[in-house]
Amino acid sequence: MQDLRTSDIREILKVTQQPEIISFAGGLPASELLPAAEMAELARDLLLDDGVRALQYAPTEGLDMLRELIAGRLQRLWGMRRSTDEVLIVSGSQQALDLTGKLFLDEGDVVLCESPTYLGAIGAFRAYRPTFVEVPTDDDGMVPAALEDRLSSLDRVQLIYVVPDFQNPSGRRWSIERRRKLVELAGRFDVPVIEDAPYAELCFEGEPMPPVAALGDACSVVYLGTASKILSPGMRLGWVVADSDLIRRYVLVKQSTDLHTSSLVQLLAARFMLENDLEAHIARLRDVYRKRRDAMLTALEEHFPQHVSFTRPAGGLFLWVVLPEGVDARWLLERALEERVAFVPGESFFPGGGHENTLRLNFSAMPEERITEGICRLGRVLSTVTADALAAV
Amino acid sequence: MEISIDRDSSEPIFRQIVREIRGFIRSGSLPEGFRLPPERRLADALGVNRSTIFNAYRELKALGLVDAHVGRGTAVLRAPAPIPGAIGVPWRQLFRESVARSHDPIIADLLALTERQDVISFSIGLPAPELLPLDIFAEYTAELIREVGAPLLLHCPTEGHTPLRETLAQWVAARGIRSRASEVLVVSGSQQGLDLVARIFIDPGDVVVVEEPTYIGALQSFRVAGAKIIGIPVDKDGMRTDILASILERERPKLIYTLPTYQNPSGAVMSVERRRHLLELASRWHVPILEDDPYSELRYEGEPLPSLKALDDNDLVLYQSTFSKALFPGLRIGYLVVPPVVLRQLALAKQGADLHANSFSQYLLERFVRDGHFAAHIENSKRAYRRRRDRMVAALRRDPSIGLDFDVPTGGFYIWCRLPEGVEQSALLANAAARGVVFLPGRACYPTEPTENCLRLNFSHASEEDIDVGIERFLEAVREAMVHGHAERPDGATTSPVV
Repeated sequence: MQDLRTSDIREILKVTQQPEIISFAGGLPASELLPAAEMAELARDLLLDDGVRALQYAPTEGLDMLRELIAGRLQRLWGMRRSTDEVLIVSGSQQALDLTGKLFLDEGDVVLCESPTYLGAIGAFRAYRPTFVEVPTDDDGMVPAALEDRLSSLDRVQLIYVVPDFQNPSGRRWSIERRRKLVELAGRFDVPVIEDAPYAELCFEGEPMPPVAALGDACSVVYLGTASKILSPGMRLGWVVADSDLIRRYVLVKQSTDLHTSSLVQLLAARFMLENDLEAHIARLRDVYRKRRDAMLTALEEHFPQHVSFTRPAGGLFLWVVLPEGVDARWLLERALEERVAFVPGESFFPGGGHENTLRLNFSAMPEERITEGICRLGRVLSTVTADALAAV
Repeated sequence: MEISIDRDSSEPIFRQIVREIRGFIRSGSLPEGFRLPPERRLADALGVNRSTIFNAYRELKALGLVDAHVGRGTAVLRAPAPIPGAIGVPWRQLFRESVARSHDPIIADLLALTERQDVISFSIGLPAPELLPLDIFAEYTAELIREVGAPLLLHCPTEGHTPLRETLAQWVAARGIRSRASEVLVVSGSQQGLDLVARIFIDPGDVVVVEEPTYIGALQSFRVAGAKIIGIPVDKDGMRTDILASILERERPKLIYTLPTYQNPSGAVMSVERRRHLLELASRWHVPILEDDPYSELRYEGEPLPSLKALDDNDLVLYQSTFSKALFPGLRIGYLVVPPVVLRQLALAKQGADLHANSFSQYLLERFVRDGHFAAHIENSKRAYRRRRDRMVAALRRDPSIGLDFDVPTGGFYIWCRLPEGVEQSALLANAAARGVVFLPGRACYPTEPTENCLRLNFSHASEEDIDVGIERFLEAVREAMVHGHAERPDGATTSPVV
């Protein structure tokens, strides 16, 4: 049951808590940008003028006020028309993934996912012992022919799990054609799509693309959203958007899982959306993260050896590095930690393992000077390592 | 056949047509055998491309809703029974078996009722709103922002905010439980504790022993885990450990779940002898005990009894408690005290489930407990709840002719009330609801068929005046049900947790 690779990550994150380490390993928003003061003030007012509601039980579906705000925002942002009863409030999108596993996955069922895919989803689904099948994926998303092949040849495919916008870990964004193709194939084979969209709002370049859920109908795409990247990861607030009959099923499972999501947290988020300018807050995040990404790209070009390639994500929090064949990112990490810099080796993001020569870098969590300094250190380590490796080839 | 199309919608037009026609077929307005218009005609009528209609019909065929034959056109097949959630994707077929069968309609009925403002609810285990220490919490928020800042909104460890774990280890010491902070796991309410314990111990088909009756939420968690649930009767002295002995030998359960103190729903307190016997049996058969202890602080008379965890020398007891009853539920914070080896597994499961309990609530609670406000709040609550219990007991005894039978609970939240012969509970609930009062039907608290005709009344939430009014309405409903009784079932609304 235990997922060793998840616990590996825990170990890495523990090491990187040390302040002298420059860590590209986390996935956190910039802590100086968190609206902590605003939130505390809202909490004080809330307790004084609506305290009983904030501290009593809430319906398992979530508080209507927040469900409405979220449905309205999805319409405004993406043209998704969803009613309040198509929105379920959950305790972070991690819980959304877990409930999804609990609803759909029995031992031996197949989950189709991107390659690489989000580690938290692997962890959440793995508890239900499915078989993960990685669908070949390029810069534009899953390769349709490969997806169709898996859908027609495999038995017991229960879910297609995708992160179409600025995916963790690769930073990749699906093209509009691939999104359409996904909806079509999923509909044809009657397999639900789980669309995880934590980063969709963090788009730095070009026009934001419609979520897969806006292209399909509520019946075939389950959309997962979260406050973690736009407001606060510590609040543990997320939402599942799907057909209302399906939401009722999620509700039953959530009820036996944790009754409901904290009323205080729900009301706080709702008040923030009503009384503060969430969109302006997100625009600030985008601005800061874009600069940090640029700083990282500039530093990568300057300090990384020629044989190392990396992605240029148009949004999100991460970019993805591919080292020359034969260079193991785990081994590199040990060397990097000696230089006081950390990252996450990419192997963990492939359910089937392999890809030891890949790694993930986070660019959102620290100021530009530190990014430059960290990449410079990493570049130093890499130059020696890749020189050795290439010499050995 | 009126089909409306929204050209501004992001949904492809052929999809919209499929959705509309699908709706007509499901609602029966397009009967079996009905011939859909030829593609060209529908395309002209709707002002769309013929290929759009071609795609729509092809999809309808793929969905098994229509059949197409050259020369005979496209005809509606036998209408499939409308299956909730099965539009587009056959959701129901995809659900796990244990999930598909874990639904109890009586709970949905009840929950719909408690949403109504004019209804006095004795059904849910809520603390009294008047007692909430809102001012203190409001002050803490200001303090926290000065002293803590951003970490309030950031992640905290999966196991819990470290100072809160330390504070809780000290807090349970007052209940005779010796523990270190490293043995305390903070969870997102005790329902999550049940869920996590079920995850790490129970595979489908495994046996779990519970008291009968027991807490509904525990039954839900164990059912979803696919457990075979066996109930052991409860009497005045708690779980019948003599019966447990034979079950352990025969069924070899993976887990024993018990609420030894002010049990939900029966109010029973397990005697010290039974506690020792339970521990001895569990140790003999190597079965872990999940001790759920939400109510022991709320003691209205009698001496406190040691918790099972305090009596346990073999590390067999997983102890669980919560702030939801003695304080308030909206923060969703509970905790477990367990051996480190169990904690590691629970923490891994929790990481997959929701990463960690929300940080802000943990900071708030840590201060509240550490500063002594929690202990003071419990004293306040006990005074108020004792009065409410007495008020409800007196009100229930006002009409002895009805023959309601109950024990006066010495703590906790509930009166467990045996109904006269022949009173049917769902009819009674509907009747009572029509009069503006609801209770929890006892049936929901049994793993299988109820052995007694009981119901549960909560006395902590309603004011003393409402208790008088509500019990009067309740007794009227019972009187009427003793003659005859039937009323309409209410419509479902949202799903409030039953606790």
